Amino acid sequence: MLWILLALFVVYPLAAMFGQAFLVDGRPSLAPLLSILALPNHRAAMWNSLVLGALVGVIGTAVGFLFAFTATRCNLPARWVRLLDVATLLPLISPPFTTSIAFVFSFGPRGLITYELLGVKGTNVYGLPSTLAAEVLTYFPIAYLALRPVLAAIGGNIEEMAFSLGSSRWRVFRTVTLPLTVPGLANAFLLLFAASLADFATPLILAGSRFPVLPTEAYLQITGLFDLKGGAVLSFLLLVPAAIVFLAQRYWVGRGHYVTVTGKSGAQSTLDGVSPGARAVLVAACAAVALSILYLYALLLYASVVVAFGANHALTLKHYVVIFTEGRKAIIDTLIIAFIGMPLGGLFGVLVGYLVARGEFRGRQAMEIASMVNYALPGTIVGIAYLIAFNDPPIALTGGALIIVACYVFRYSPTGTRTTIALLKQIDRGIEEASHSLGAGSFTTFRRVTLPLVLPAFFAGLGVVFIRSMTAISATIFLVSIDWVLITVRILENMTELSLGPAAAFSVFVIVLVMAVTSAISALLRRLPGPPGAASVAGLGG
Amino acid sequence: MAANPVAIRLEGISARFDHRVKGAVAAVDNVSLDVAPGELLTLLGPSGCGKTTTLRMIAGFQKPSAGRIQIGDQDVTEVMSNDRNIGFVFQNYALFPHLSVYENVAYGLRVRKLDDAAMRGAVGDVLALVGLKGYEGQMPHQLSGGEQQRVALARAIVIRPRVLLFDEPLSNLDAKLRVQMRGEIQRLQREVGITTVYVTHDQEEAMAISDRIAVMNKGVIAQLGSAEDLYQRPASAFVAKFIGRANLLRATVLARDGDRVTLDIAGRRHQAAATGAASSLGKTIQAVVRPEALAIDAAGAGASLPGTVVTRTYLGEKVEYLIAAGDETLQVVQLGPAEARRFPSGTSVGIRLPATGIHLIEEPEA
Ligand SMILES: Nc1ncnc2c1ncn2[C@@H]1O[C@H](COP(=O)(O)OP(=O)(O)O)[C@@H](O)[C@H]1O
Ligand SMILES: [Mg+2]
Repeated sequence: MLWILLALFVVYPLAAMFGQAFLVDGRPSLAPLLSILALPNHRAAMWNSLVLGALVGVIGTAVGFLFAFTATRCNLPARWVRLLDVATLLPLISPPFTTSIAFVFSFGPRGLITYELLGVKGTNVYGLPSTLAAEVLTYFPIAYLALRPVLAAIGGNIEEMAFSLGSSRWRVFRTVTLPLTVPGLANAFLLLFAASLADFATPLILAGSRFPVLPTEAYLQITGLFDLKGGAVLSFLLLVPAAIVFLAQRYWVGRGHYVTVTGKSGAQSTLDGVSPGARAVLVAACAAVALSILYLYALLLYASVVVAFGANHALTLKHYVVIFTEGRKAIIDTLIIAFIGMPLGGLFGVLVGYLVARGEFRGRQAMEIASMVNYALPGTIVGIAYLIAFNDPPIALTGGALIIVACYVFRYSPTGTRTTIALLKQIDRGIEEASHSLGAGSFTTFRRVTLPLVLPAFFAGLGVVFIRSMTAISATIFLVSIDWVLITVRILENMTELSLGPAAAFSVFVIVLVMAVTSAISALLRRLPGPPGAASVAGLGG
Repeated sequence: MAANPVAIRLEGISARFDHRVKGAVAAVDNVSLDVAPGELLTLLGPSGCGKTTTLRMIAGFQKPSAGRIQIGDQDVTEVMSNDRNIGFVFQNYALFPHLSVYENVAYGLRVRKLDDAAMRGAVGDVLALVGLKGYEGQMPHQLSGGEQQRVALARAIVIRPRVLLFDEPLSNLDAKLRVQMRGEIQRLQREVGITTVYVTHDQEEAMAISDRIAVMNKGVIAQLGSAEDLYQRPASAFVAKFIGRANLLRATVLARDGDRVTLDIAGRRHQAAATGAASSLGKTIQAVVRPEALAIDAAGAGASLPGTVVTRTYLGEKVEYLIAAGDETLQVVQLGPAEARRFPSGTSVGIRLPATGIHLIEEPEA
């Protein structure tokens, strides 16, 4: 059953996309590929995508490292750490283009900084610099989350050891800390590279026509030129680097190239990891980044409650009235889809995770990989593949809610799968055997022991499916129709129509809703009986 | 009908695993064993010798690749573990982390569909038995290691299993608690009288609690017997060295008259009462002499073996010596050192062999 679902919603669409890209009149052909590559604009898009990804990877990793190092080495007061956490959490749970919208408010033609403060007229916010800055601010939290445990693990004793051997702090950093973090840095770079490569919303708003990238080009090819084949080829061009990065990342993490420091990480180091001067600089740099994020979100909030940002700053609630009247359909549709997808995605994730971790059948690994594919691929590819696969008979689903739900379930349930596997690895098989030895059969054991223990994974998976159902756009923008509209798509339309107020109000609404649901789920997770730490394993990762 | 003389019978059971490098490996190789009703039998052996695997086959967590398993009158080889009516205590306790102490203990009773009143009674009784009254509402992670151990024990015995199985239940406890808990396990086992198979790699623990001990090595039972049997009459050098400490001296049997033997040890004649190796006249064998049976004399005294003290370790109630004698290094323990003479390291000494308590082993030197 799971196999059929995976085949239908993972393998089949990709196959259909390949077919579209490389079959002409039923025969394999490279002609579509060559004709797409012949256009300079497309070649530029490919090059731009790679450059942007590399830059976001390098700068985002650096900022993430800065944050992680500051958080683990500077003995910050708890309240400051909290500030860092909030500043890094916001981009993770927002719709992907929130930062971009706020960027327009800040640096656009009538932006707060460019126009109001500096008095520059006719600035052009669109292009590589702003796209890069927005993506860094959006995605560096991924690097922060990846690097923080690495730095925490190599802290304490190893560095103390080096100190005790007479090294200076700087020398310890250079000769011990940094080399040990290199695999972690590589991992973070690859994660950010992939995220930037896949990012659709930021370039759509900020890149402008002079800086085309692959996801937006593919989108325009399909929605502007109605050229499915061209879109498929462009997706394929995007798929190649994405697949390489994905494999490289798995190689680094999987092959033990990754730092695994065994044993206890030791008590909080009693030595200060950095000198007071360096500490001040680090904290100031972090605070600057954190404050600019908070500034952007504050700006978004402000723009949602003034009549017309940049022109008339009288307070009003009319944008909220608009989104709850004209925008009502989008809100209701999105919520319906989110609430249908949520339990399905949660359940699917846990089931696959359980089978992969505890099942004894051939092809377990294949099942795990198949379940991860849609998650690892850029959303644009998944969206285009679904569009191609389900547009025509035998399986015509486009236009309905089902295809959107399916897209979310198969794209975002892997978090639940991952969490389930991690939890089950922590839970000794002996616990299930104990249940058997006490007379319980397999079914009773699953219901009374295994299921309650993987409940945190279920809720975590559920939460992620919900967050993404509210915020995702890259895949589903290809799948919406007149009957089913999504909030994120409406925001994008508002942006292109330059009705910025409603766009800001929608964004604020989504962020508030997502935060409410996320904290409700976190509270629930803390309440669940079970070993401490189960909930943290299930922590809501992006 | 007479009471069944066996509670557990293993008939030639084996467990083969496919090892990635070594190919098919027998973790347990054709093991046969009878456990008497009410007996506490220990499987003792070094890590990796197949103890856990044997126990898991008795529990039904794993199917033997050959052989039969009988519990009571019933052949259970093909019976699932949930129908075997056994109690298993895991090395890491395997408590259900999401259930309270009460629910952990009640789990097996709920599966058996006991009514609430009977269940409360049974759980209360067993918690009193393990000294955990008042802990009903606690969660497992709120308990200390020793308390978790007791819950695991209570959970296993409350269902009144036909047999109790322990897999290194004390290895996660600190040394003091280990000694205390093993006393309690022994007391409980006697009180409830359930046939028990206990796995450990700690020979002292095994000797302290067992009626009989099966010493395992490389998937087979090397020797089965009481603690005294194993200590005084080890069947092999492996058992001699694994149970307590032993000096293995190469010797030739010059004469034999009942249990009186005349041995040639390092060119010297020695007469003693000995056990083992009955038909060994004229052969070279190994003589097992425990360290506390040897005594140290000043050099040149009587018929003792000459040697040199390598190290002397003072341990309060005893002193341990390592003494080089010829090409062997002998362990000697002096009890009650207050009265004994001191022999600092480097001293030339004589080692006196005992007149009784020597055990002979017929096998090539290990
Ligand atoms: N599931 C398994 N797969 C492969 N080899 C196993 C498995 N379980 C145990 N073994 C091997 O069988 C041998 C005996 O293991 P075990 O019974 O656990 O030893 P003990 O409990 O005495 O330390 C070991 O060499 C171990 O590597
Ligand atoms: Mg074992």
